[in-house]
Amino acid sequence: MTSRQAGRRLANARARRRSVQSVRGGARKSEPLAAKDLRLMLRLIACGGIFVVLVAAKLLLPAKMADFNQRLSAAMERNMDVQAVFSAVGRAFSGEEGGGVAEVYQAVFHPQEEAVQTGAVSPEAPVKTAVPTPKLQDGAALERLRSFRREPVSPEGAPASETAAQEASNLAYVLYSQENLPEGVSMEQVILGFDYCAPVAGGTLSSDFGYREHPTEGEERFHYGVDLAADAGTEVRCFADGTVTAVGDSSSYGRYCVVAHEGGYSTLYAHCSRITASSGTAVKRGQKIAEVGETGMATGPHLHFELQQEGAYLNPIYYVSAL
Amino acid sequence: MSPPCKVRVSGGFVLLAVWFVLANGWEPLATVLGAAAVHEWGHWVVLRLLGAEVTGFRLSALGAVLETDSGRLSYGRELAAVLAGPAGNLLAALALTAAARGRWPAAVGANLVLCAFNLLPIRPLDGGRALYLLTSWLAGPAVGETAARWAGTVTAAVLAALIGGVIWKTGGSLWLLPALGAGLYWSAGPWLSGAHA
Repeated sequence: MTSRQAGRRLANARARRRSVQSVRGGARKSEPLAAKDLRLMLRLIACGGIFVVLVAAKLLLPAKMADFNQRLSAAMERNMDVQAVFSAVGRAFSGEEGGGVAEVYQAVFHPQEEAVQTGAVSPEAPVKTAVPTPKLQDGAALERLRSFRREPVSPEGAPASETAAQEASNLAYVLYSQENLPEGVSMEQVILGFDYCAPVAGGTLSSDFGYREHPTEGEERFHYGVDLAADAGTEVRCFADGTVTAVGDSSSYGRYCVVAHEGGYSTLYAHCSRITASSGTAVKRGQKIAEVGETGMATGPHLHFELQQEGAYLNPIYYVSAL
Repeated sequence: MSPPCKVRVSGGFVLLAVWFVLANGWEPLATVLGAAAVHEWGHWVVLRLLGAEVTGFRLSALGAVLETDSGRLSYGRELAAVLAGPAGNLLAALALTAAARGRWPAAVGANLVLCAFNLLPIRPLDGGRALYLLTSWLAGPAVGETAARWAGTVTAAVLAALIGGVIWKTGGSLWLLPALGAGLYWSAGPWLSGAHA
């Protein structure tokens, strides 16, 4: 990208300096080679040193290294969308609508969120209206619980049950009319066709699947999973046999992982204090994959649990309360 | 007859390219390399027009470098050759905008970003070289050297801070780390090598 014209002037000056040095120091011809060897040796020592330190750290401080690994992979996953940045600059240049500094800023600092309103994006108010998509995006997770309602779990866990009656009674018509459901949400109780188990033993249902009043903004928002309150550090068990497809850290989900199961099903475990399974590994039903925490947008330790089939959100309560 | 043009690709470049592809995909890499090709082509065309030979081409993590026998060129002519790269990018951006009518905004953007980046007054970049040549032409090489050195140091330090800010704010984009390193190196570079000159 740069072009440097090695001018003859410069080359001459260098040659002069070299000859002066060699006269002054009485240097032999082999000296530059020795300097080169020394540099190579130093490089080798530095690389070897880094290797030894890393291996020693892994052996002596396995927990710290695992934590570091997790942080590093989270940092490596997060990226600014270069193509979007270029596109924003290009559009601004050609004078199209939607170009401009605001879009470039959006592309650099909020690559995960879609710019839905042209020019209306300010750094203080990132877009919060993103529609949930099958892909795991921050925008999908904005229906995060922020308040805790510690209600005992009813055996059925149905929203219309006695315990949840207060909120449910005025929302029930919305919940089950299907017409008012957001896109990609199904209220059907599908038969899964494989064995499963509750992800948290002895957890308490603190927020149900469906519309609920947003604790801070006071409007009704859809909650795409169930929240199971449990003590921090409680083990999170895998819902069913499958493969870990993603482990990450997001501002809203906190530390999360996604497991893909047979039949196009997948489950998400969010707000964990720690993810113990690593991406790409096969996991068994009931196997510990994480620990309950309150990372991300959470006001207390709980597991946010989502169940999807081919990108459609299902109500996990049917399967979680069954055990 | 022109001498054989030596092409060298450093390991650092390959590593950065692989990382970039893993982090961003093929499309942005192709866009960036396309814009870089336009840039180098701009330099090459003007160098050939001015009668200078291009003796080598190096690709490293810090960018592409054309090696040339430009000692024969006057300040003005060398300035033209140096500015031809960014000018090529600017022309490409204008041509793409006019021809494609906004179909390839990313290619236009990449060309503009590359043009602007290379015009930064930091020495290994075209802008720094151009500043040196211009001030040397007008006020002599000593003034040129001082001007280029100070402009480079200040700009590179600001650039490094900005890149650091982007990495911090996005909590990632680690492929920018070599750029951060380059910024720091460029800001300190002229003084380190100048200490014994």
